[in-house]
Order: sequence, then structure tokens, then C-alpha cells
Amino acid sequence: MIEVRNLTKRYGDVPAVDDMSFTVQPGIVTGFLGPNGAGKSTTMRMILGLDRPTSGTAIINGRPYLESAWPLAEIGALLEARAIDKGRSARNHLLALGATIGVGSARVDHLLELVGLAEVGSTSAGGFSLGMGQRLGIATALLGDPQTVMLDEPVNGLDPDGIRWIRTLLGELADEGRTVFVSSHLMSEMEMTAEHLIVVGRGRVLADMAMADFIAASSQNTVRVSSPDAGRLHNLLAGPGVTVSSNDPGHLEISGMPAAQVGEIAASEGLVLHELVDVAPSLEEAFMKLTSDAVEHHGSTETNGMRAA
Amino acid sequence: MSAETLNPPDIRTSAVAAARTTTPRVIRSEWVKLRTLRSTWLTIGGMLFALTAFGLISALTASGQVDATAGQGRPPGFIGTDPVSTVLAGATFAVLIVAVLGAIIGAREYSTGMIRTTLAAVPKRLPVLWGKLTTFVVLIAPVALVGVLVSFFGGMAILDAGGAATVAWSDDGVAGAVLGMAAYLVGLGVIGLGMGILLRSTAGGIGTVLGAVLFVPTLASALLPDSWDDILKYLPSNAGQSFTSLNPSDTLLSPGVGMAVFAAWVLLTIVGAVVALKHRDA
Repeated sequence: MIEVRNLTKRYGDVPAVDDMSFTVQPGIVTGFLGPNGAGKSTTMRMILGLDRPTSGTAIINGRPYLESAWPLAEIGALLEARAIDKGRSARNHLLALGATIGVGSARVDHLLELVGLAEVGSTSAGGFSLGMGQRLGIATALLGDPQTVMLDEPVNGLDPDGIRWIRTLLGELADEGRTVFVSSHLMSEMEMTAEHLIVVGRGRVLADMAMADFIAASSQNTVRVSSPDAGRLHNLLAGPGVTVSSNDPGHLEISGMPAAQVGEIAASEGLVLHELVDVAPSLEEAFMKLTSDAVEHHGSTETNGMRAA
Repeated sequence: MSAETLNPPDIRTSAVAAARTTTPRVIRSEWVKLRTLRSTWLTIGGMLFALTAFGLISALTASGQVDATAGQGRPPGFIGTDPVSTVLAGATFAVLIVAVLGAIIGAREYSTGMIRTTLAAVPKRLPVLWGKLTTFVVLIAPVALVGVLVSFFGGMAILDAGGAATVAWSDDGVAGAVLGMAAYLVGLGVIGLGMGILLRSTAGGIGTVLGAVLFVPTLASALLPDSWDDILKYLPSNAGQSFTSLNPSDTLLSPGVGMAVFAAWVLLTIVGAVVALKHRDA
């Protein structure tokens, strides 16, 4: 379990992480979702004690990470796939890190097999592709058989086969009762893997809810109509709980009324419809909308700052 | 699409009993890192070669067995001011190599980003520094020792065969100067390592150590008036010279004080690395 309490990290006056609080529960995959620059990696680095928080705390499995007796067995993390020494083989990389918790070649060879690097385990990691680097990073994260696993953008650079492999792996780890915390800037990826979502933008938590709730909350359908009589239809549809908007002549966007009802009203008045479509906003759009508000907000404060200066 | 990528992941079957992350385990980890880089062994080989080969060649020229000074009308034995510095002539090059090796070991993980993987595995951080220092010293000290001993005994045999002046191991100050040179090499390597961590840059670490060791003392003694000598003799390289050569001049500290001053420089670098490693964001 990971507990983040009022975590803040400022670089000068700029907050990279701004008073974040959330808990990552064991037994499920929790997605850490936000656009690039939202503070995901900084938060993860603070959880691992790599960056010092300006204020706030992060607790892993009930205690600060610094106090862990066997850090690699407490939490396995993949932060940057390229953070390896290119002059060393994957096997030696794992052996060196494993030595800190007394893990030896049997475990290392098993993991190389698990992540599909057994054949290249003895060659220099300098020749690895980004995807192979990700696989090595995941092997590193699993070295100590940790209760908690934290991966920063693990599908980056993986081919579709590798992405599917990661999804299965994350599900397995969660099913075994582990805490699995995975970041991504892609909603579509989270939709496939995560059961719970923590959405962040500009260093703040924007949403912390079950994936199912997030989907329910954001999937309010709209109906798109195109009609030569759009103007008349507009007046007929307007009413309490219904919003009608028109971006270009002849087209209407209606929310708050099902498509069938729109069609019936048009038919009763004898209006011609060229198109009547149910539009389900994608989660991607919902996520973009949620985070773009945070981005815009930041943009305006920046302008104020410049004016003040 | 290889078969293993499609196998369902199976982590449980090899569940591990993790041991505590103690300083000895971190030292072991650093040892695996050090020995699995080819550059470590190449640099050490280079250092041993420079130390012995240049020492022996210097002895050959000094004893007139290799005529390097033909036509210049100078007598044999011009290279060193004394037989010990003649046979330890290779140290001039070994110093550069060991400082570079130290700086590389200190800074390498910063340039690759590996340091974050390392510090995530050892969040207490300082054991990583102890690990790097221990493995470096344990590896480099025997090499430096073998290098100076081969240079000394081989070089003296060559000087003797050529009829040039020699000194014996048991002569006053000789053993101290030869062993002192080995210690000086190790110490400079440690300064390089500390600088590498402090500056997080291989180039910066190398530049600082070589600058402080080579250029500053030479430049300073050339440019500054003699009245500055009292200060200049406390520089690491001048302090080192006081306990690595046989007939120290008035401008140098006594061997004992020189060694203490040099040790203080080494310690200062380590303290700097400790503070930086402990308090900096990785």
C-alpha cells in the first residue's frame, strides 16, 4: 500500500507537485493518469525518496521507505527504462541490484526468462531497444518479489505484443494481492489495465475514483442532428435539463435528451432530418477535458505573473 | 514473437526470501558493478603498464642502456633527481589514469541515470558511497603496490646493471617513498571518485582532479612570487610530493606532515561527497 499525504514539491516558486494526497490500495491495479508535466514522475520519485518533498510524506507498506529493511523487496519500481549502464549486461545489472537484498543468479535467470530477455541477458545492455529496456526495468522491479510495484509509463516503447504482456502481468500481480501503481498519459491505456484511477493535472489530484465510476461520470451522451430545419428544431427541443448548441448552420448538438425523443419531436412537426446520431464521448475526451481545465488555469496564472513582473 | 512473451507471467513460483540491505551487501553490489565493466579492467591494466613500463624505460635511459640523450652531451642519470624518482617516473602517468578511473567510477551512474535505480534500491544512500570507496580501494591498492614494487626492484636492477647510482630498500626513507607513492595513487583515485560524485559529471570530475593536481601547482609556482611557497606546499600534489620522493626540498612539507595534509584533502573530498549524496535530489 502507498499512502501519499499532502505531498508538495516546489522548484523555486513553481509547484511541480501541489499538496497531493491519495492512497494506493493492494489487490487492484491503480492508474496514475495525467498529461506530461502533471507531476506523476516527481511524485513517484518522492515516494522512492529520490527527490525530497518540500512538504508532506509518502508511506510505503506502513512506513517511510527510508526505514525499510529490504527496500527492493518493499517496492519494485520502474522509473526510466534507460537508467541502466550500457556497458553492463542485463544479467549483471540484475545481479548487482539483487546483491543488495541477497538475491542471486537463480532468481535473476528466472526473471530474465519471465520478461523474455533470457537470450540476450548476457549481451551488453547498450544495444537494447527501448522496449527491451522496459522489460529489463520490469525485471528489476520484480527482483525482490515486492509487495508493492510502481511503474512509470511501462508500455512506452513496447510493441502491441509487449503491451498485452504488461497488461497481463499487472493483472496477475494485483490478483496476487500486491499493490500495483502504474502511470500513463494515455487514457486508452489506463482503460485497459486499471481498476482505480488517480487523475492529476498541474501537480494536483483532479479525480480519485474507481474506473467504473469515472466511466459512468464521463459518459453523458450527446445527440448530433443535421437538418435543413435546424433553426426550428432548436426551439422545439429547448427545455429544462436539455442543452442545445450549434456550431455551424444546419447542425445541432443536444445533451439531456435521447436520440429517439429528438427523432419523434422532429417527426411530429414534419421536419426533415439528414442525420441523427448518438455520440458517446470517449474516456480520452473526458480525461482531456478534466486535465485541460487545469492546464488553462495554470496558463492564466502565468500571464498574471508576467503582468505583475 | 517469442514463446516466453506469451506465457502467463508466473512470479510466485520463485518467491524469494529477501535479506536485509546491509552495508556489506551494498559493498557486494558495488563490487558486481565494478567488476562487470570492461573499462575497469582496461584502466587498471593501463595504470599498471604506465607505472612499470615508464619506470623501467626511465631506468634504462638513466643507466645509459638506452641512449635517449644522444648528441645532447648530457650524462646518464639526468631523468630523476634521485634513483627513486627515476624508477617511479611512470607515476606521472599512473596518477592521471587513476584519477580518471576514480572520477569515472564516481560519476558514471549519474551520466547514465543508473544512480536513480541504485538509490531506489538503497534509499539510505551512504552505503552506496562506502561500497564504491571500499571496492575501488580494495581493487586499486594491490595494483598500485605491485606497480611501485616492480618499478622499484626492476628499475634498481637495471640502474645497477648500467652502473648508475642506486639505493637499497632498507636505505633511509626509501621504503617510505615507494610505499608512499602507492598510497598517493590510491588517495588521488579516491579524490577523483569523490569529485565524480560531487560534480555528477565524468568530465567535470576528471577536469577538477587533473586541474588541481597538475595545472594549478605548476601554474601557481611559475606565476606567483616565492613568498607564496608556504601556501603552495599544502596543495594536494605538493603535499604528495613530500612523501613520495627521497630528497624533499625546502619548498615541501616534511614527509609526515605532507602525508597528513594529503590525507586531509582525501577526507575533505569524501566529506563533500557524503554531504552531496545525502542531501541532493537524485
